[in-house]
Amino acid sequence: MFGKKKKNEQPLNRTLITHTDPRSPIAEQYKTIRTNIEFSSVSESIRSIVVTSSGPAEGKSTTVSNLAVVFAQQGKKVLLIDADLRKPTAHYTFRKDNRVGLTNVLTKQMELSKVVSRTDIENLYLLTSGPIPPNPAELLGSKAMGELLDGAFQSFDMVLFDTPPVLAVTDAPILASKCDGTILVVHSNQTATEAAKKAKELLMAAQAKIIGSVLNDKQQKESHYYYYYGK
Amino acid sequence: MEETISLRELFETLKKRLSLILVITLLAAAVSGAISYFVLKPVYKSSSQILVSQSAAGSLASIAGISLDDDAKYIETYNVILKSPYILDQVIKELKMDTTPEQLNGSVSVTQEGASQVVTISVTNNDPAEAVRIANEIAEVFQREIAQLMRIDNITILSEAELAENPAPVKPEPLLNIAIAIVVGLMAGVGLAFLLEYLDNTIKSEQDIEKLLELPVLGVVTKITPNEETESSSVSVQKKAI
Repeated sequence: MFGKKKKNEQPLNRTLITHTDPRSPIAEQYKTIRTNIEFSSVSESIRSIVVTSSGPAEGKSTTVSNLAVVFAQQGKKVLLIDADLRKPTAHYTFRKDNRVGLTNVLTKQMELSKVVSRTDIENLYLLTSGPIPPNPAELLGSKAMGELLDGAFQSFDMVLFDTPPVLAVTDAPILASKCDGTILVVHSNQTATEAAKKAKELLMAAQAKIIGSVLNDKQQKESHYYYYYGK
Repeated sequence: MEETISLRELFETLKKRLSLILVITLLAAAVSGAISYFVLKPVYKSSSQILVSQSAAGSLASIAGISLDDDAKYIETYNVILKSPYILDQVIKELKMDTTPEQLNGSVSVTQEGASQVVTISVTNNDPAEAVRIANEIAEVFQREIAQLMRIDNITILSEAELAENPAPVKPEPLLNIAIAIVVGLMAGVGLAFLLEYLDNTIKSEQDIEKLLELPVLGVVTKITPNEETESSSVSVQKKAI
């Protein structure tokens, strides 16, 4: 009873299940998402992806970090950027320092290569948010952002962005318009239909290319199937 | 938004809110039981019987040669007289009761036993002894007064109301009340379950996303349970296999 409660009290302690338990059913589910992303575009490969959702706490950061891990496991050199400049969390997930980061690069205080940090996972690199600025939307929409992306593409195969919720602030649509693809995370049993629709509209209005959505936190029902297979 | 209601969806809804339905039902049953046992005053019933015999000598009926059949008409008349203020007023006066004839009228019921000439006077009261006294008093007063009223003396008191040693109340009936409460609670619970389901406008499945958002679903991530976070998957495989 008490043990259960204790675990629920630590929402920030995200576990990278794709890293800690790469053969688990959930890790498989992230690999399925990876495959679907790869197959979603025919003509050009998708190299930058924005992960966002309509509201807060719907699983953006969890989804984006696990996706980064499965892309890295594939042998791609992946850069995960915490573009949630209002409530950054990636440095908690990967247990990194957040004294310098994205904001320092965008304000031309530091070079990208100096700020990116290695993670425990091979091929996965992290750019934390850095100090929280007063004008996140302007920073993300600036020319420096485009330059940062160009620089990142020279040394990385894949760039993933963690962003704030779409309905709360305009950061995600701004960023989505600059990237190859956008993924909308939908939290099962929590995301309201209207909110998701509105989020999609806002992203479309910003010329974002929505690859698709990820249904997060769905109640497990017929999961036995996954367990039996391949074991 | 066209929605087809399938039987399976209905069952799913009910299954999901089963605890809610059960809680409401049990609560209703408990409240009903508590009220029946502790709040409502028990009501006791007592009956006396009178016999309306073949008209005595000298009565109008015998002169006219009225047959047994017509006694039924008399009995109907008697029933009305029995409950009239004329009788009840005297009952109240003689028993020195603190009530009005109208109130007493509500607790008295007069029934003819089938097609017989026996009339049963039933009285309900919170006090079993009081019910007995009233039932007997009504029979007596009626017997006395009817001779004056109709100038016939054909009423016999067949059986007097008696106070049982352990009088059982006729009302309330706790079991019946609880049964009713269970049915009502069940209905309310099911209604509430469907109402909540209707008001719940959150996205639940891949189908919802495809239908409502018209976006492709790249994948579904199931709930990461603490079990899977801490233990390796092989352990959970063993658990599931058993």
